[in-house]
Amino acid sequence: MSQNRSDAAAPISLLLLEVGSMDARLIGLSLERHMRNKVCLTDNMAKAQVVLVDCDRQGAELALRRIPPQQRLGVVGYALNPRECGTKFPTIDILGKPLNLDGLPAALSRAMASPASIPLLPAQPAGAGPLVAEKTKSLGDSIDTDDGAELCGSLEDLPLAPNSQVPDKFFFDPEDYLIGQLFRAVVKSQASGRPLAVAGLHRLIRVSVAPVPLCLTAFRETRLRPISMTQLPLATTRLVLDPGPDDPSAEVAFASEDLLWNVAVWAARGRLPKDTDPYRVVRLKAWPNFTRVFVPPHALRIAALWVRAFASPVDIASRLAIPQRYVFSFYTAAQFAGLLEHDLGAAKKTSPTASAPPPPPPPQQGRRPSLLGRILRKLLNAV
Amino acid sequence: MRSEQAVHNKIIFSGTVGAGKSTAIAALSDIVPVATEALISDGATTLKKTTTVAMDYGVLLLDGGEKVMLYGTPGQERFSFMWEILAEGGIGLILLINNAMPDPLNHLEHYLTAFDGFIAKTAVAIGVTHMDRSNSPTLIDYRAKLRVRRRLPPPAVFRVDARERDDVAMVVRALLYTLNPGLIDA
Ligand SMILES: Nc1nc2c(ncn2[C@@H]2O[C@H](COP(=O)(O)OP(=O)(O)OP(=O)(O)O)[C@@H](O)[C@H]2O)c(=O)[nH]1
Ligand SMILES: [Mg+2]
Repeated sequence: MSQNRSDAAAPISLLLLEVGSMDARLIGLSLERHMRNKVCLTDNMAKAQVVLVDCDRQGAELALRRIPPQQRLGVVGYALNPRECGTKFPTIDILGKPLNLDGLPAALSRAMASPASIPLLPAQPAGAGPLVAEKTKSLGDSIDTDDGAELCGSLEDLPLAPNSQVPDKFFFDPEDYLIGQLFRAVVKSQASGRPLAVAGLHRLIRVSVAPVPLCLTAFRETRLRPISMTQLPLATTRLVLDPGPDDPSAEVAFASEDLLWNVAVWAARGRLPKDTDPYRVVRLKAWPNFTRVFVPPHALRIAALWVRAFASPVDIASRLAIPQRYVFSFYTAAQFAGLLEHDLGAAKKTSPTASAPPPPPPPQQGRRPSLLGRILRKLLNAV
Repeated sequence: MRSEQAVHNKIIFSGTVGAGKSTAIAALSDIVPVATEALISDGATTLKKTTTVAMDYGVLLLDGGEKVMLYGTPGQERFSFMWEILAEGGIGLILLINNAMPDPLNHLEHYLTAFDGFIAKTAVAIGVTHMDRSNSPTLIDYRAKLRVRRRLPPPAVFRVDARERDDVAMVVRALLYTLNPGLIDA
């Protein structure tokens, strides 16, 4: 089917992404010799129709994320163990190693035919542990699984008390991501009372203020999430006066707070906005609207603890005995959603502080979970 | 199973007329809920034909056969004498407020006051329902109202559609974590 078509059509232009130099040479030579009229290599992303990625390489995931979402590229992977790898990259076709070149053109044209596979990252990280991912509703329903690597990265913990400068990798600059522009749009339209819009992406995000602060967009979560995660080249987006809906029938309204939360939590990847002090205490003013926003791992317990008292992100993580990156992602989302209260009067406090919340009862590992724990489990499992 | 006490575990659902208490309990319950509905005769609302006059009763069956009862209080305030009796010994309170009725923020206040003692001993999580029909007041208004009451820490307030099991389960989960943020689920 598609194979026949691709036989007749112009050669597919293929970009090799995160492919080792030896592989690249072999693939290049083989294509040159045997498939010159079917597939040609390019190193220009703008000209590529499909990318081929070595899924076994550490940088594969990051490289995929960096593909500009506007670029409607098909993606094909290859891996030693395609089945196992498929759970990590569920939306892409994965071929086995060594690469069978005969099957390649067909896989490439399949991928080209559905460039929507560009949201390469699973909507729900696979291999979820005991927690069951909840069904996806509109924009940003919960994934709520313990496998948070896709969402919260893999940064190690900082020391419990500051002893040296926190490395740059723990921070991101919101201006490099959609959240920077969206936040500015919400703040500016609130200040001026005028509806604005974030333009420059393939859908508008319109921001209105009256009677309630709303964001309206025809973006689906599957598109908005990868865009939020990606560093956007400078000047990709711009703020304009709201020109009205671009696709009225597909447009959905969100409380501004909810959309800011989602776009920020997707950008964070376990990091804090730059210039944040992870040892400074803050408090959660209110619970996020967890029935409508994206729920990152551990978010409910973080919220329950952080509404109780001022505490630093590092402190919260240690009290809950969870990796700090989950708390950093939560902090980032809460910050942009306007849910954090900063202790302006207080000098910088380091943890643990007098005002820090009492530690929750320790988890009862190995023992039969408490009644509350069993109810929780029931709620998560019985769908 | 040792604990006879466990048999009396219950979560209380309360809140305004038509907020969705019976619906929420039905969404979670493992048995067909027992409800004591009656045709509405006093014109309390034109929204619906029946209302709960005594209580709703559903059950969550846990592993090992243990039961958690889901009790719904009647919405109409003429039955408010029953609220405290029903709540006694409960794990915590789910409060559902119908946003499409007049003056929902006053209702919120009223219910929080009525359950003050119970909440102080346990916890509350709030679901604002019918927001698809009426988007004002907003969650921000609810939170402001709760701040005025100076109840710390602030309880969870979510937008809930009682017909959606996931929404109802999420409020209950928030209640459980409010009771114990250190909770683990397995
Ligand atoms: N549109 C809409 N309907 C809802 C929502 N939540 C519940 N309902 C509906 O509202 C109606 C009333 O729900 P009930 O569960 O009977 O309400 P109740 O709180 O038990 O009412 P009383 O027993 O009279 O106090 C039902 O038809 C529900 O399906 C919501 O968020 N939006
Ligand atoms: Mg009822």
